[in-house]
Amino acid sequence: MESLANELKVRIIESLRLEDITPEQIDDDAPLFGTGLGLDSIDALELVAMLENSYGIVIKDLEEGRPAFQSVRVLATFIQGKRAS
Amino acid sequence: MDKIFISAASLVTEGDVRGARLGKRLGRLDLASQLALLAVDSLGVDFDSQPRDRIGICLAARTGSLATDFDFWRGRDIVGGPSPTLFAYTLPSTAIGEIAIRHRLTGPNLCLVGEDLILSEARDLIRRGEVEACLCISCHVVTPAIAEMVQTAPTARAGAVFLERGGDGLRELRENDRDIETLCGVSCARFVAS
Repeated sequence: MESLANELKVRIIESLRLEDITPEQIDDDAPLFGTGLGLDSIDALELVAMLENSYGIVIKDLEEGRPAFQSVRVLATFIQGKRAS
Repeated sequence: MDKIFISAASLVTEGDVRGARLGKRLGRLDLASQLALLAVDSLGVDFDSQPRDRIGICLAARTGSLATDFDFWRGRDIVGGPSPTLFAYTLPSTAIGEIAIRHRLTGPNLCLVGEDLILSEARDLIRRGEVEACLCISCHVVTPAIAEMVQTAPTARAGAVFLERGGDGLRELRENDRDIETLCGVSCARFVAS
C-alpha cells in the first residue's frame, strides 16, 4: 500500500503539473481538494483521466467517484479494491 | 479629447516562461496563457493605481488557440482521453480569464483573433469612458507541429502594453499604431524577466 501511495503522489504531481511540490511533501491523509493540496474541479477531471490512463480504472460518474479522492491513502485503497475485484 | 499614453511595455518569449516563477500552478496553463500572463506581470504595473473594474483587458490572439486545439485533438487516442485541463484552454480568450483572476481585474474585456484592431478597440474603450486604463496583449504561438502543417516558422512570444488616459507614459498612443509588438520594440521599458 505504501509503495502505491508513493507512486500515486508522483503521478498526481506529474498529471497536475504541481511545481514546487515533492512527493515527500504530500501527506497520505491530507485532503486533496479544498485545504491540503488545494486542487479544484479541473484537477478532479485530470485525476479521473490519470486513473484510467495509469490504472485502467474508469470513473463514469464523478459524484460516485468523489469519496475516492479524499486523500492519497483513500485513493490508494480505492485502486487496490478495484484491482482485487 | 483626452490623450492616451503607453505607460509600460513588455515582450516575452518561451525562454522567459521557462525561467519564470509566477506561482505554483502556472505549469497548468497552456503556453499562450503563460506567455500572456508573464507579459502582463513583466509590465510591472501597479494595478492599485486604478479601481480594478476600470481596467480593461484586450487580447489579440494572433493564431487563436490553434496550438492548444491541436494538442487536445492529438490526445484523443490516449487511454483516458485528452487532458481535461487542456480542454479549458481550447478557447482563445482563456488567457484573459487567467490575467483577470491573477490581478483581480473586473473591467470589460475583449479577445480578437488577429491583431489589426486590438489597439483601436482598446482606445475606444478608454475614449467611451468604459475604462480608465487598458491592458493590451498580443500573443503569438506557433508550435513546431503547427509550423510544419502551415509551412511557417515556429514561434512563441507575447507583447503587452498598458494604456492609460492622460498621464505621462512612455509615449502617446498614435492613431496609426496597430501592432503591439512594434510598440514593445519602440517603447519597451522592461524586457523580461525571470
